[in-house]
Amino acid sequence: MDNLRGSHLSLVIDMSPMQWHLSGEGPPTNAYPLTLDAFLSQLLAFLNSHVASKDENTLAVFGAFPGRSVMLYSSTDPAPNQQNINANSFPPFELVDSNIIRRISEEMEDLGEPEEEAPCALVGALTKALCHINRITLATSTTVNNPSGGPNSTNLPDPRILILSVSPDLSTSYIPIMNSIFSAQKLKVTIDVCQIYGSDTVFLQQAAHLTGGSYIFLDRRDALLQYLIMAFLSPPSIRKILSVPTQDKIDFRAACFCHKSIVDIGFVCSVCLSIFCQPVPVCSTCRTKFPFKTLQRLNASRPMPPSSNSNSARPRTDTPQLRTISSSELALSSGPMNGMTTTAPVGGLAGGSIVNKREPSTNGKIHEPPEAR
Amino acid sequence: MSIAKPYTYAENTTPGSTIPHTLLPFLQSQSQNTLTRLYQKPSSCLSIFRLLGSLERQLIMNLLWLESAIPASTMAAWVVRDGKKYYDEALATLFRLHILPTSTVKLALNPTFKTSFRQAITGSGSSGSFGVPAEKEDKHPPFSVESLDGYALERWETILHYMVSSGTGQHPTRPSQGVLFLLERSGLMASIRGSPLQITSAGFQFLLHSPHAQLWDLLLQYLHMAEERQMDLVEVLSFLFMLSTMQLGREYSIENLGVSQKAMLEDLRDYGLIYQRRPSSKRFSPTRLSTTLTSSSPPLPTSTGTSSGPKEGFIVLETNYRIYAYTDNPLQTSVLNLFVALKYRFPNLVVGSITRDSVKKALSNGISADQIISYLISHAHPQMRKNNPLLPVTVQDQIRLWELEKNRLKSQEGYLYTAFASQADYEFVLNYAKELDVVLWENTAKRCFFGSLDGHANIRGFIERRTSGSTS
Repeated sequence: MDNLRGSHLSLVIDMSPMQWHLSGEGPPTNAYPLTLDAFLSQLLAFLNSHVASKDENTLAVFGAFPGRSVMLYSSTDPAPNQQNINANSFPPFELVDSNIIRRISEEMEDLGEPEEEAPCALVGALTKALCHINRITLATSTTVNNPSGGPNSTNLPDPRILILSVSPDLSTSYIPIMNSIFSAQKLKVTIDVCQIYGSDTVFLQQAAHLTGGSYIFLDRRDALLQYLIMAFLSPPSIRKILSVPTQDKIDFRAACFCHKSIVDIGFVCSVCLSIFCQPVPVCSTCRTKFPFKTLQRLNASRPMPPSSNSNSARPRTDTPQLRTISSSELALSSGPMNGMTTTAPVGGLAGGSIVNKREPSTNGKIHEPPEAR
Repeated sequence: MSIAKPYTYAENTTPGSTIPHTLLPFLQSQSQNTLTRLYQKPSSCLSIFRLLGSLERQLIMNLLWLESAIPASTMAAWVVRDGKKYYDEALATLFRLHILPTSTVKLALNPTFKTSFRQAITGSGSSGSFGVPAEKEDKHPPFSVESLDGYALERWETILHYMVSSGTGQHPTRPSQGVLFLLERSGLMASIRGSPLQITSAGFQFLLHSPHAQLWDLLLQYLHMAEERQMDLVEVLSFLFMLSTMQLGREYSIENLGVSQKAMLEDLRDYGLIYQRRPSSKRFSPTRLSTTLTSSSPPLPTSTGTSSGPKEGFIVLETNYRIYAYTDNPLQTSVLNLFVALKYRFPNLVVGSITRDSVKKALSNGISADQIISYLISHAHPQMRKNNPLLPVTVQDQIRLWELEKNRLKSQEGYLYTAFASQADYEFVLNYAKELDVVLWENTAKRCFFGSLDGHANIRGFIERRTSGSTS
């Protein structure tokens, strides 16, 4: 039977003025320019479609502005008693559209013209979206035990998050993004990602993959609305019938904890699974000390140290090999770089672990957990 | 009359298996011309879109912003193999509604529907189909939402209460003549040889439906009647759809309404769908009954009247068949009285028990066991919702068993064939009858069998041919 409850959509919009300016520039650099205005008008049509589909559908919109994130609209807020209504439009649409446009222009004016654009607070917006979903799902599930609960409040309203991103990856945000992904998995929230401008983002690809969402890199920016409707409008229950595009190739690379750079080959602390781009004597996360000998060996076998100084003279081992090291030592995986498909040795972060579908390159095992003594 | 949803212990969540809305079969029976005229109004398109199943909605959305037709195979490529059945059903529904012109090669929306629905989504156009708001008036401030709810509730419960207490000797407030006529026409109430109206078995079933289904049932009857009253069906439908997109607590002007639509005002006022200060007033306000027509949220905020109890769900059912109903609403008490033997009444509580006799009485009124169970489920007290399954299984099963009891005997007309001369004779005829598949009962020891009525001519002819053949 039809799901009587609506579905919830939380939208996270990347509002970096710089990237939108670039996106709006025409050929030759950009074959399909998309200005912020054109984007917003197509976006509102998409949001109206979501609101139109079911009276119970709920919507929340978050904006990621440089340096801060704000909630632009939430359908759970009490509707202000607007006085003028238009005979040609459905009142709820009017409410959504006018509120979002008003809030965006307010926020844009507040930004002013800083010398240098702060990085976009995408993670902040994503976290707020998760908190919002957590709140509304909690609210519906507690009413079950509450005498004032409604008859239909037993199942959750199919929550999902759609991220519309225009910025490239911000490698400093690796850890918070991964943590958000794990929270989303726990909450059973699907994260969809549409990269509208710029290059593929590694982290958002992983976010979509790990939560069962879909990641689309938009080539034809002039067809944005059609992309949004075909791939992102359908709630998860409909996706079992009308499939949505999924990725066939996912970039699983991680960022190291020490320099926040995306690494092809990393070193994983065998105790706490922190990732480093080079061997370190002491794990910065759990303070585990690694034996000096191990460090030497690891340094010796590194394929190409990023800043080669003392080790550069050492001959490299030709055959990549893996060492399994006893506990409290640093594990190593080394191997040839396979471009995009090379998978970094990725461990888990607090609260979950990354399930890696692709075989982690040709070298076999990456990391062995500490043995019981 | 819609068929009550069959009750299942575990809710079936297969995405495609949706129960279509009551209105859709009616719309599908209309001519293409009528529907195309209906689709000229953006608000009608939006409301019909909301009544459709989720898969149909997604298909419409996929096609809405395309300028040209796309090959059907392209759309079919998106369908998961297991979902093919649902996809084909959804397409068939859209074909029947003429939202998609029938074509097996290319898919494109009906141009009228496409234009109007695009206008609805973008809020453009100048059709004014979402209702023209009335000028603000200082003398009479608009009716508050609470008072509108109260008004709608009073109107609606008057109708239901009149139905449930007909024939019980009570004399509740009579609804208006138009409502009575509608109740009689729809077969919910009937008058036997000039006597006052009596509730029929369809009426009893109607009382146990959800308020939303009741509302649509009545409106559907109204639509059938509108056709006979020479009202313009398109105007009637688009007015209902317009009401469903209006905002609660606002006043709208009647200036832009058509002739049939102005005539409808009076009827809808009687049903509690709209409120007008005076019958001649130039403005009207939709009530919650009309603004929730296309949603599945409960049409009225409270149906327990002035009771201090919880807003939804008031029935506690125990495994010993006792029922505690926290209500002081005479309507709900009367509905419960249909299948419960009431014992005590307190200011806010009614206590009774489900007995064999009380259920038998309900069954003889035409109410089915499933309807009783689904009524108990949908009105269960929030405390009951902690239980899994919600209702005590013993009570559920017993109610079903009592229903089966009623169906214990099944009569069938037919002929008994006896006194065969020999066992061979008997078996020969019996085999012939079995081939015809008309044997209902047989007893070899007594050499007799019972055949159904329609097989008699053949068997008789067969026996006659045999006896005449053996004697000659």
